[in-house]
Amino acid sequence: MDKPTNIRNMSVIAHVDHGKSTLTDSLVSKAGIIASNKAGDMRFTDTRDDEKERGITIKSTAISMYFQVDKDDVSSIKQKTDGNEFLINLIDSPGHVDFSSEVTAALRVTDGALVVVDCVEGVCVQTETVLRQALTERIKPVVVINKVDRALLELQVTKEDLFQSFARTIESVNVIISTYHDEALGDVQIYPDKGTVAFGSGLHGWAFTLRQFANRYSKKFGVDKEKMMAKLWGDNFFNPATRKWSSKSNDADGKPLERAFNMFVLDPIFKIFDAVMNFKKDAIDPMLEKLDVKLTQEERALEGKALLKVVMRKFLPAGDSLLEMIVINLPSPATAQRYRVETLYEGPMDDESAIGIRNCDPAGPLVLYISKMVPTSDKGRFYAFGRIFSGTVRAGPKIRIQGPNYIPGKKDDLFVKSVQRTVLMMGRYVEPIEDCPAGNIIGLVGIDQFLLKSGTLTSSETAHNMKVMRFSVSPVVQVAVEVKNAADLPKLVEGLKRLSKSDPCVQAWISESGEHIVAGAGELHLEICLKDLEEDHAGVPLKKSPPVVPYRETVKTESSIVALSKSQNKHNRLYVKAMPIEEELSLAIEAGKVNSRDDYKIRARQLADDFGWDVTDARKIWCFGPDTTGPNLLVDVTKGVQYLNEIKDSCVAAFQWATKEGVCAEENMRGVRINILDVTLHTDAIHRGGGQIIPTCRRACYAACLLATPGLQEPVYLVEIQCPENAIGGIYSVLNKRRGQVFSEEQRPGTPMFTVKAYLPVMESFGFNGELRAATSGQAFPQMILDHWELMAGTPTEKGSKIEELVRNVRIRKGLKPDIPALDTYYDKL
Amino acid sequence: MFYVVGLGLCDERDITVRGLEAVKSCSRVYLEAYTSILMVQKERLEEFYGKELILADRDMVETESDDILKNANKENVALLVVGDPFGATTHSDIILRARSAKIPVRVIHNASIMNAVGACGLQLYNFGQTVSLVFFTETWKPDSFYDRIKENADLGMHTLVLLDIKVKEQSEENLARGRKIYEPPRYMSIPQAVSQLIEIEELRQQGILIPEKTLAIAMSRVGGGDHERIVCV
Repeated sequence: MDKPTNIRNMSVIAHVDHGKSTLTDSLVSKAGIIASNKAGDMRFTDTRDDEKERGITIKSTAISMYFQVDKDDVSSIKQKTDGNEFLINLIDSPGHVDFSSEVTAALRVTDGALVVVDCVEGVCVQTETVLRQALTERIKPVVVINKVDRALLELQVTKEDLFQSFARTIESVNVIISTYHDEALGDVQIYPDKGTVAFGSGLHGWAFTLRQFANRYSKKFGVDKEKMMAKLWGDNFFNPATRKWSSKSNDADGKPLERAFNMFVLDPIFKIFDAVMNFKKDAIDPMLEKLDVKLTQEERALEGKALLKVVMRKFLPAGDSLLEMIVINLPSPATAQRYRVETLYEGPMDDESAIGIRNCDPAGPLVLYISKMVPTSDKGRFYAFGRIFSGTVRAGPKIRIQGPNYIPGKKDDLFVKSVQRTVLMMGRYVEPIEDCPAGNIIGLVGIDQFLLKSGTLTSSETAHNMKVMRFSVSPVVQVAVEVKNAADLPKLVEGLKRLSKSDPCVQAWISESGEHIVAGAGELHLEICLKDLEEDHAGVPLKKSPPVVPYRETVKTESSIVALSKSQNKHNRLYVKAMPIEEELSLAIEAGKVNSRDDYKIRARQLADDFGWDVTDARKIWCFGPDTTGPNLLVDVTKGVQYLNEIKDSCVAAFQWATKEGVCAEENMRGVRINILDVTLHTDAIHRGGGQIIPTCRRACYAACLLATPGLQEPVYLVEIQCPENAIGGIYSVLNKRRGQVFSEEQRPGTPMFTVKAYLPVMESFGFNGELRAATSGQAFPQMILDHWELMAGTPTEKGSKIEELVRNVRIRKGLKPDIPALDTYYDKL
Repeated sequence: MFYVVGLGLCDERDITVRGLEAVKSCSRVYLEAYTSILMVQKERLEEFYGKELILADRDMVETESDDILKNANKENVALLVVGDPFGATTHSDIILRARSAKIPVRVIHNASIMNAVGACGLQLYNFGQTVSLVFFTETWKPDSFYDRIKENADLGMHTLVLLDIKVKEQSEENLARGRKIYEPPRYMSIPQAVSQLIEIEELRQQGILIPEKTLAIAMSRVGGGDHERIVCV
């Protein structure tokens, strides 16, 4: 733990049901935390009751493990190491898209990722999403192709087919990786012959990399281990007659040769499967002897799958091969922080904190990022869970707790408090620890009340924040909750606070009409959150409204005339126009590629080059909104107006709120550019203070939007459904009923499974899972991920249109007047 | 008839005789209470005029002027303004509204700080443009008044600087969301005004407001008899 070169922080990521938690068990059992015969069934990292019940992971869980590598293998580690003992901090993450925010929080504190891919289903939508997330965080991946037993037992594939299927899966992972070429990270594509891909079965507890087989054979052939690994993959064939290697699949006489991978790696495995499953008792013993696998008397008595499990586990123990792969191929904090510092730290790269992070220096100033809060057994209190990037944390000394809104040099969102206790997180247990140096993952007690969800802890006065995490999901499904019993209200309020603390993604707030709103990433996420709220955080019975979906307000054209608003004292006038922003730019802003914090000159250049903006305009972007980062822009296009910069602040403030609560339905605005064309102002500052300008600017924005054909955007899911062929009809009929659009339907090569991809409005997705299950007799499994915002047809200002009806309902729900305000509420005549 | 009546500078007895007669003839009397304040409470005014007063804040005068002007063509309505109706704060807007609604308007003048400033000994004829000094915030520090003072100084004229008061102001968030929640009232003190002036001088460095060279006269409660304070620095 005190040697940063011998720590590996890694997360296990994958698509739902590809076997992360099961595989994690194998690793945990290796570390002796659970019995090895239970591994695969126990799901040690699924700590919550509902996780066990549903068989899915909901919260990410961390475990610290100790591992000793074979002394001979230390030389294969291409980075600085110290001895052969390693500490592995592993985080098991959920695979369901609704909980991607948990993955983001896990990735932030780790340097490497074990990507689990189901060998039958291949790379799925969530595999891709989490992999992309990992790469943007500069996290190095290794891959394990899981559930190989399924391919052998259920699908009965041939060796060559299996090899092809492995190769295809690896290829599709590499396609994703190659789009993220990053100089600092180097080549992170995965190669079986370099030992960065493992194959195995989490359920049966076995796995191997080519390294294990190379070990066995290098002695036999007298070849160097690394060379042997290269031979065992790809188009390398072995001719047993001549004992020669060849890269052609036929020998000199034209007889087909067997691929080395099939011959040396798959053959023994196939033989064991064949012998055990077909009860060829007498064939088993000599084989085991040959493979140097010893069974106890009891184990010999087993039969079928149970025997298979035991044999395979002894032959190719998953814990050993995976941990070895992790230790050899994933970077240590000392290595990783050198290149990650640029993407992690907001401040200058040469201040003391940045240097401390870069060197992973336990003696440097403390820099610690809290990525999430973990509930403790003590109700209402949380462990702050995070990673120490620099310095050493211990209980006692006062440290600075900087929330996400902290700005260096100011006092907002800053507390100076001391940590009460430091603990190691061990799955369902914690272990107290005195102090903990840089490079480790840690839980802190006693600072939960000073942080909302995440934040930076530091001992340096000059330290900037660590970059905030960008979540790939956003809370698009909302419900209103109320207590059944009015006296319970305070408990609900307290419960909502706790809920929003315990989950990185959930949002809870009180709406204008006084309702308590909870928003989550999807139906399942919300269901879990509400259950937690009802049973745990608030502990009172609740009434829940049917789920609703937020919309985005936008404009479709440029304002037909210049919108004018006068201030209340009639001394100031604002002339503005609204126009739509191209979708690409909105997306770029949302993805943080065009950022409000960028240098304005660089940003202007980028806008001009990539989005065809006028450079002068682009330089005069006053602000982004809402929340100063959103995809709406306030642009000053005035010419030579006096005192203009004195009202900038007021306009910026007005724009934030105007974009947060749009004119039609008080939903967020998206993709709207407001141009300030001209301004007349009173000469005396007292007559153009915030009190006069803010309401005026807000009204002017609203008037401009009403004049620019307002429109609504609705969130749309990308749905990926895996199913056998006979279920496709059912899928189509359910999708059609719900305004879904299928855009791809493919058979996965080598399997009878089809993958259907479609767009489905979030609005229509409630109950989709259930209906789909019914229509396909449970054969189709959908995964839904928020894909984009789709402009809806029509405009709310058109009386009697469908969309007007929709806006009206939203307004009624929010306790507003049902009608959209008329133009003259906001537009003043000259 | 719609009367706009100046109340003068100090207390209830500063009203002119003509003004008092007008007030007594009115069915509704509004007291504008946000651009400036008298040194006495509303109750003393009510007692002296023998009329009930309706307090009119910024919101009421600026957005609900129709209510104020209601029936003013049939009965008499008065809006009482501290100082002079066309003094430091102009109430031209409501008068224009009244005109457009064909309501006869009569303005009754009174003393305002704009002329009472002569009490400090400087010639009224030599005053230039009047400016106001607003409360600075962390990010909002309008300094255009500096240019006005400079223009005045270049012409050899004095500048009357009015200090901000904040009565029933909303916070920025509430303003933007259109909520009527008000902040507690604040008045700018003279030390604060001086420090703000010096702050801007340091920023501009044009030598107009150098503390060592500039004559500044602070005046408060002008026209208040024994309470009057005039301090030169």
